[in-house]
Amino acid sequence: MKRVVDVNIPLGPIHPCFKEPARLKCEAKGERIIGVEVELGYMKKGIERIMKGRPWQEVMFLAERVCGICSVIHNLVFIEAMEQISGIAVPPRAARLRVIANELDRMQSHLLANFSYCYTIEHETLGMYLLDLREQVMDELERLTGARVTCAYIIPGGVRCDLRKEEAAALLASLERMEGDLRRYTGMFENGPMIALRSRGVGILTPDAAERAHAVGPTARASGIAVDCRMNHPTYRQLGFAPVTRPDRDNFARVMVRFDEVFQSIGLIRKCLTDLPNGVVRGRGVCTAGEVRYSGEAPRGELTYFIRSDEFGRIVEIQIQTPSIMNIEACCHEMIIGSDSIADVTATFISADPCIACTER
Amino acid sequence: MTTYLFEQDLVTQKYRILAARRHDRLVRQIAQELDIPVQEVRRYLIGHLDMIQLENLPARAEMAEAHADPDNPVARALGREKYSTYLRILSGAAMDAIFRDVSARVHAGTPADDAVRQGRAQIREALRP
Repeated sequence: MKRVVDVNIPLGPIHPCFKEPARLKCEAKGERIIGVEVELGYMKKGIERIMKGRPWQEVMFLAERVCGICSVIHNLVFIEAMEQISGIAVPPRAARLRVIANELDRMQSHLLANFSYCYTIEHETLGMYLLDLREQVMDELERLTGARVTCAYIIPGGVRCDLRKEEAAALLASLERMEGDLRRYTGMFENGPMIALRSRGVGILTPDAAERAHAVGPTARASGIAVDCRMNHPTYRQLGFAPVTRPDRDNFARVMVRFDEVFQSIGLIRKCLTDLPNGVVRGRGVCTAGEVRYSGEAPRGELTYFIRSDEFGRIVEIQIQTPSIMNIEACCHEMIIGSDSIADVTATFISADPCIACTER
Repeated sequence: MTTYLFEQDLVTQKYRILAARRHDRLVRQIAQELDIPVQEVRRYLIGHLDMIQLENLPARAEMAEAHADPDNPVARALGREKYSTYLRILSGAAMDAIFRDVSARVHAGTPADDAVRQGRAQIREALRP
């Protein structure tokens, strides 16, 4: 898209505040941003092409590698899609363990996103506190699954390994400690006057604009839209899940929704652990031929897999719609437009928790 | 001479986004609705939308379908909201002008199908380079 503009300010592809490379070409009139063009392609993996024609046993490992930050949900959505195609049932204990793994993953992703935001607005102290907390969550994820990032914990018909009683008790104790720390850090963010100056009323995303761009996850929920795929998930329904929303629509609301959701995740994990059914963690079943569109709630929002498999469980066709596609689009073409300062562009972009690895796949 | 990656032409990358299965299905649907060759729709989209807008096209099209006004069949058939507000391939002002013409024709007694067909021809003209 070649256009002649007043002032074109390129941000990225390499920028100290971006976790991954992307280029935003900001069109400015004075300090006011009147347009943004996004250039991607710096970390394209072509993972959907690699998946095609491979058996599900290989694709489940590839699915996790779409994104290093939210690998558990890619694992979960792919496996649940294959289970839906093949009519495989999951034992109740395994279903609860899946929720625990998913919520731990959400906690670490939200804490990392909020760290990035604090780092961007130059509140490094709070950022480092959050990063320290994230490490503790990663340790808990390792306790449950045996790995910190690409866990491959969820398999068709259940999970790879069980959680022992003493490990469950240790996880509960750790959650107690983390909740206390997080309450303190959330208070620091909520009551910080300088943070409010940089965050409140900045990067407004109206509900209409969010709906048009199909914004999802905390980005949409911070604009007052109660969308969450967990509301349609049978295990989450049993746990009485209800989405967290805020009406403020700005950067502050997006960060606060993520903090609120970390508390919510702690509550969900506690419920699962105190009410963990007895029984096996691996059911039976064979992956077969079929076609499905299946969505799950990733930390950043609705993650959808479109899958067609053959009778041997090979993936014939696959396409992944990640939440960052919608959220980055909403961010760059709705939230950033009209920003009063170029300094707000990075903060607003980071507040939408963009994941370029997910977007480019 | 050194050439930087970020200064290169993005047409190939944009084309690859549009060649994905869901995107291709949508492009073909637009081409069929507006009676334009598929290649021209692709060329227009590549020229007017950035990479993230292209990536998000199917999601936006789904939202357009879900939120199309059921009480206004002419606007729905013309794709008033879909092509302007959601897919953003036509400006709101241009689409409003076309919709006003179509509504006027319907009020003047032209069958709705014919009026919509003429409206689509106007959209086609507006998209022409």
